[in-house]
Amino acid sequence: MKQIQMIKNPPFSLISTNKIIQMSDVSTSYDSRNFALEKINLSIDRGTNYAIVGQSGSGKSTLLKLMNGMMIPSNGTIKIDYITPNMNNKKFKKMMHTIGYIPQSLGLVKNITVLDNILIGALPRLNKIQSFFKKFPEHEITEAKRIISLVGLTGKENRKAYMLSGGEKRRVAIARALMQKPTILLADEIVSELDHVTAKEIMNLVADAQKRMNLTAIMVHHDMQLALEYANRVAVIKEGHKILEIGVEGDTIVDFQTGDLNTEEIMGMYADDTKK
Amino acid sequence: MTPKNNIVIGIIVGLVIIASYNVEANPLEFAEGLPNLGIVLEEILVLENIIDNMKYVPTALWAMLETLQMAFIGTVIGVVIGLPFSMLAARNLNNKFIYAPIRALLAIIRTFPSILWAMLFVIVVGLGPFAGVLAIILYTIGFVTKLQYESIETIDSDPMDAVSSIGVSKFQLIRYVVIPESASHLLGQMLYMFDYNVRQSTILGIVGAGGIGFFVVQYIKFFEYGKVAVFMFVVLMVVLGIDWASVKIRDKYIIKSQHGVEVLAK
Repeated sequence: MKQIQMIKNPPFSLISTNKIIQMSDVSTSYDSRNFALEKINLSIDRGTNYAIVGQSGSGKSTLLKLMNGMMIPSNGTIKIDYITPNMNNKKFKKMMHTIGYIPQSLGLVKNITVLDNILIGALPRLNKIQSFFKKFPEHEITEAKRIISLVGLTGKENRKAYMLSGGEKRRVAIARALMQKPTILLADEIVSELDHVTAKEIMNLVADAQKRMNLTAIMVHHDMQLALEYANRVAVIKEGHKILEIGVEGDTIVDFQTGDLNTEEIMGMYADDTKK
Repeated sequence: MTPKNNIVIGIIVGLVIIASYNVEANPLEFAEGLPNLGIVLEEILVLENIIDNMKYVPTALWAMLETLQMAFIGTVIGVVIGLPFSMLAARNLNNKFIYAPIRALLAIIRTFPSILWAMLFVIVVGLGPFAGVLAIILYTIGFVTKLQYESIETIDSDPMDAVSSIGVSKFQLIRYVVIPESASHLLGQMLYMFDYNVRQSTILGIVGAGGIGFFVVQYIKFFEYGKVAVFMFVVLMVVLGIDWASVKIRDKYIIKSQHGVEVLAK
């Protein structure tokens, strides 16, 4: 477990004005009675490795769906690079390929090969004729093979997705997202249900890609320790509310939450909750 | 058994009796007529007649080949035309202003059995197998499209959502997710439809739309049951053969992709 030292004033390295994602008073609901998220304010810097932590049903997956335009907030505003994420918004539609999204279910097409699944990430760059005849340019195939090597799936290019193990499927989903050449990577609990060693491998893979491609990675976890280990910033969501936001730099944790909340106490409570 | 169940059973039995009276279904008449079948069987099963009728086997095989070709062309063209319609009729790919009218059109096509469509096409293109082929194409479009859009609607929404979020076009979504994910169902449906169309093609000859049915009807008209038996035997053998081949193809190409397991070739 990481030993932390908590300070109230953030060091300069954790202050930035280069915001890529901004959410202001965002609320959303699946039905008219209950809010899945309520009055969420988030501001994420370009190039950050951001973690969202919370228990099942806390609204963290919903938060990712709002960021990639799959859901629309009932109140508040969201801006991704100053554009409102909405699949019906033409400006957003043009930038969707720059957002790599890995759902918890991974969303692989199970009856096609690893290579074909990864090449799906290049589809927005194909014209209609190339799409129809499944004729990917040579440089795209070369890039896909490079990414396959990067995620450690060399030799399994021609395996059907349904034949892969859980860890391999996650690598394919990450590779598909990287094939998009994204600027933002949204990943929803991609290491849950994996053994510790495989989970670390997958997390290292994402962290490496994030640094190498200068991605803004927003990863949902239910494990606080994992979040603290890899993220620069961590937001804790509980029952649709953001109850904590901290910055992490080495062994230092910086409290960004305004108000009367006692960060140490909440983190302690949360750590207890996740152990149950 | 609750009193409510007794009332329901009573109503069903009552309706069967009324309907039987209306259609003059008389079990006694059936029992009295059974010996007539014996006379026919006697004529068919006489060794001399069997040997004599064997000379019609090449004609029966040739007619069956025509029937198979009608079913094959009808199935392939029907599926090819039906596939785009099934994409338009799927609720998870379109809004109701697109899928509702397409579904209504397909329901109208399915309302009439292929033999009625065959009668219509005999008027249009005259007697012969072409009318039968057109009838099979139309019926296949109506039927296979329904099967296909229902299987498209059962596709796991996760890959569709994940790929949609990349910003791909509707066409790309269909080409790279919907078709691969429903391909195994489509192959199964094609096999089923071909099997069904072979059986249908054997009776289209009744209205002059070609195939082996044309010969069967002619021989029945002239009470030549021995020849009818030869033709029916050929139909039976071919349909059983298609059934066997369907099972093999399903095992090899469909079961594993639907269940995510490899099936060892036997």
